[in-house]
Amino acid sequence: MSAAQSSASNFEGIRLAETAGGRLYLFLNNSLAALEGGHRRIRQHFGPEKLAPRVINRLEVVFEEVVANIIRHGLIWKPDQLILVIASALPDAIELVFEDEGVEFNPLDVPSPKPFETLEETKVGGLGVHLVRQLSTAVAYERIFPGDSLRWVGQHKFCPSNRLIVSIARS
Amino acid sequence: MEMEHSDVGNVRKIVFVGRLDTAGVDRVETRFGAAVVASGKSTVVDLSQVTFLASMGIRMLITTARSLSSRKQGKMAMYGANAAVMEIIDTTALHEIVPYARSEDEAIAIVSA
Repeated sequence: MSAAQSSASNFEGIRLAETAGGRLYLFLNNSLAALEGGHRRIRQHFGPEKLAPRVINRLEVVFEEVVANIIRHGLIWKPDQLILVIASALPDAIELVFEDEGVEFNPLDVPSPKPFETLEETKVGGLGVHLVRQLSTAVAYERIFPGDSLRWVGQHKFCPSNRLIVSIARS
Repeated sequence: MEMEHSDVGNVRKIVFVGRLDTAGVDRVETRFGAAVVASGKSTVVDLSQVTFLASMGIRMLITTARSLSSRKQGKMAMYGANAAVMEIIDTTALHEIVPYARSEDEAIAIVSA
């Protein structure tokens, strides 16, 4: 990232924020505090795009659900594990790429939640993945083999094992 | 995220202000449960000042409504959502188990029936 603008972010939960080639690269700590800081940084990055409020909301819901899921279920081994979010504005879509160092997990394998019947029998699991699928135009998962996407973040050797690519329509 | 509660006759009214995301739910969930379930009163939830709703917020609303209902104490209904919040309610079909009303008066009528 030779032409990158890089900063140790002022936003809590963000290890490093860089922009390069119009893309935002956010390295998030394994902490739910990363959600609030990440939301603010992503809104800031897409500000010049003048996105419709509905698109911004979908973008934020997808970010929230994916990152929270990774922190709660994926990053269970080491507290210093990181999540990389790459945010890009494409001609017809906003793309968010999530890479993490957690256990293998393909959210597309999660079955859709059953339709609600009665309040008493309702199970609330799986709603986050459901929202990501429904609010996006495309979702793809890739397993990353060790070392294929290696980056150094300060002294941390970021070696992701999962990549989720989510596209959200601009209109 | 802030939460206020008051009573309209025999109905408890909850007003959320801010984001019902992971951080917001963490701040208000215990107080919400105490204000609703512990009171045992049918409840209306004003979402007009909620700027963001994610699955953690949906989960909180469902579990609290279920706790209220399971004790045969009361019902819960919501109203006032903006377009962004309404899209999440529609997408998750939350309104199928926690009724959504067009106004506070309608919400009160639903939980009082």
